[in-house]
Amino acid sequence: MNLAALQEDVSVETATLPRREKGALVRLLTCGSVDDGKSTLIGRLLWDAAGVTDDQRAAITLASHNREVNGEKIDFSLLLDGLQAEREQGITIDIAWRYFETPDRRFIIIDSPGHEQYTRNMATGASHADIAILLVDARHGAKRQTRRHAAICDLVGIKKVVLAINKMDAVDWSEARYREIEADFRAMAGSFNFAQVVTIPVAALTGDNVVHRSTAMSWYAGPTLLDYLEAVDPETEIVDGPFRMPVQLVLRASGDFRGYAGTVTSGRISVGERIVDARSGLGATLRRIVTMDGDRSSAAKGDAVTLVLDTDLDISRGAVLSEVPRRPTNADVIEARLVWLSETPFDPEAGYLLRTATDLTPVTSMSVSALVDFETLASQPAHACNVNDIADCRILLGRAAAIDLFRDLPLTGNFVLVSAIDGATVAGGVITWAQAGAPQVGDNVLVLNRALLASGVCADLGDSPADLAEFNRRAQEVAILLRSVGVPVLIEI
Amino acid sequence: MTQLTSHLKLLEAESIHIFREAAAQFRAPVLLYSIGKDSTVLLHLARKAFWPAKPPFPLLHVDTTWKFRDMIAFRDKTVRELGLDLIVHTNHDGLARNINPFDHPPSVYTDVMKTSALKQALDAGGFDAAFGGARRDEEASRAKERVFSFRAPGHRWEPRRQRPEMWQLLNGRLGKGETVRVFPLSNWTEGDVWRYIALEKLDVVPLYFAAERPVVTRNGQMLVVDDERMRLEPGETAVMRKVRFRTLGCWPLTAAVESDADDLDAIVEETLAAKMSERAGRLIDHDQDGAMEMKKREGYF
Repeated sequence: MNLAALQEDVSVETATLPRREKGALVRLLTCGSVDDGKSTLIGRLLWDAAGVTDDQRAAITLASHNREVNGEKIDFSLLLDGLQAEREQGITIDIAWRYFETPDRRFIIIDSPGHEQYTRNMATGASHADIAILLVDARHGAKRQTRRHAAICDLVGIKKVVLAINKMDAVDWSEARYREIEADFRAMAGSFNFAQVVTIPVAALTGDNVVHRSTAMSWYAGPTLLDYLEAVDPETEIVDGPFRMPVQLVLRASGDFRGYAGTVTSGRISVGERIVDARSGLGATLRRIVTMDGDRSSAAKGDAVTLVLDTDLDISRGAVLSEVPRRPTNADVIEARLVWLSETPFDPEAGYLLRTATDLTPVTSMSVSALVDFETLASQPAHACNVNDIADCRILLGRAAAIDLFRDLPLTGNFVLVSAIDGATVAGGVITWAQAGAPQVGDNVLVLNRALLASGVCADLGDSPADLAEFNRRAQEVAILLRSVGVPVLIEI
Repeated sequence: MTQLTSHLKLLEAESIHIFREAAAQFRAPVLLYSIGKDSTVLLHLARKAFWPAKPPFPLLHVDTTWKFRDMIAFRDKTVRELGLDLIVHTNHDGLARNINPFDHPPSVYTDVMKTSALKQALDAGGFDAAFGGARRDEEASRAKERVFSFRAPGHRWEPRRQRPEMWQLLNGRLGKGETVRVFPLSNWTEGDVWRYIALEKLDVVPLYFAAERPVVTRNGQMLVVDDERMRLEPGETAVMRKVRFRTLGCWPLTAAVESDADDLDAIVEETLAAKMSERAGRLIDHDQDGAMEMKKREGYF
């Protein structure tokens, strides 16, 4: 039996469930502020749950010599910190990927750095995770960087969060302290879209409540970290989403073969059903679903396939094939929330490209309207954006792209922003609003310019940075109101 | 036969996605084919990604001239049967200077016959992207690597300057002088590779299966004598033992393990129960502390 045959069996057995066995693969992120013990926690989890081979154990035990931490003989973080600079400095710089499995599950563990300087690496890791373990030090509670990490987890779409309150040994295993931090965090988590927040008191160094239940915290009746991870359902997305398949490339082969290769990012499709290219509006009927293991009658989310249509649509990479009733927006103006990843700050004059599923679209103009304040987690009006900031922005595209809203369809609603100069990835973001028909100068369009705004709606504002940000915010709000009643608007301030 | 197979479907789809993204975004990709089990899976996934077309790139094998004979035979048979383009490159300057694994320390030999050879071949072919079968579970510095791993001019890996890589979005836009190593098997483990080979009934080099072979034990590692170039130290003799390989490289630098696993099911079982990590048998990795990271910085895979 090959893999394709096996897959058929699976879909028969679980016809009413998502066609994949639930939770076969769980992607897990550890994050939190520096020195709260992320690498130690994962090192301990691997060590106790048998994800470490004998020669690695010997090497870590040897390397831990002379590095005694809090009286412990083993420096578990050495299992994760694989770069020389990390070992020398005793910090995590980039994310580390580790793998282990229990009888029912395969885990991918992504250990991320806590330093603010390496937030871009943490954001990379977070975007690949289903579940986040957010660590706090029981002595200090949530810090600014803890809130920033929580905000990034929220931004990239993580729905399930474990708050691991670590170093409980350092607060005498105090239930009162645990309850206090838990209450603080639950209040803060209200700012986010998490579907589930679980708190677990742990001591990574001694292993309490990581794999083995703590005897020092008999007041805690919940699961250990491993218990939770083995039981949690990582699937949080809607099963019945509309069909989407971004086209990666057009395959041609002998005998006039022409197929569109891509991975289904949402929903499912069967041979004989109608398909539409969202950008051109052209439709066709699905004739074949081709794979090397033979043709299939249907394909669903997660399947990498090649689609053959009954008519040649003349479409290429970047197109999004969709079902007919629920299509993406053919948008050339979007609003988005993004995390700025580049050391070079946002520059409205710089050239950027928007990379969505498989499309790359030039950005005509871009403006920032607000930044998340990591003390209060509220949005504050702003027009500048620097490394590690989370910003709300508006982007006008040089041409329309097929776009969904991230909250509905994450894989066709996310993007990275690319520097047109050196190709670097400068930001990653999620689309919160998208609309077709950004007006062009010269059309019958209302231009909201500085003079027009300053003479009225912004007459009370001066030149301070706060006032300039407010000026920009009001301009955006006025434009939204006007567009919502069908007036084409261009902001030029 | 073995538990946990449904996640392989997810890993397979992820790898195909990566292959297609790279083929669409890079001008001249090449697939580093090193003949072992990972390359076998890599090539199989490349065929799936572009089926019914052939993979739109050639294969490249860096031949140090010290590979097992069975490996070369397997390479030639595979390429012939599948009708693929293969480039074989050897560092002839290194060969002329007689750089070999017996007279030179592993770090020197690897640098000249593998790393430099690879860079020569990539430059000569004008390749801007090279697929490799490296997996993050192999080694601590590999655990840190991106799927699209950017290399500065001169093929240098700068681990502190890796690009963000978010969600399924792979940004292959190159800066001046940059090239990319692409790792479709990043999230696979050794166990996954074997389970996949078993499920998909893929052919692998016979050296992976246990058989009686002539073995010399040196510094606690078992070397299989593959040809007459073996240099025996005083008192050493080759003894027939039932061994197999978990990883394949240059025969004087690749240690065998004692095993009775002579079919795929037995290998899967042995791999999942293994107490030692896979690269424990790779002598070049242990030459210096942080050896892999140093080699990678210089352009090794």
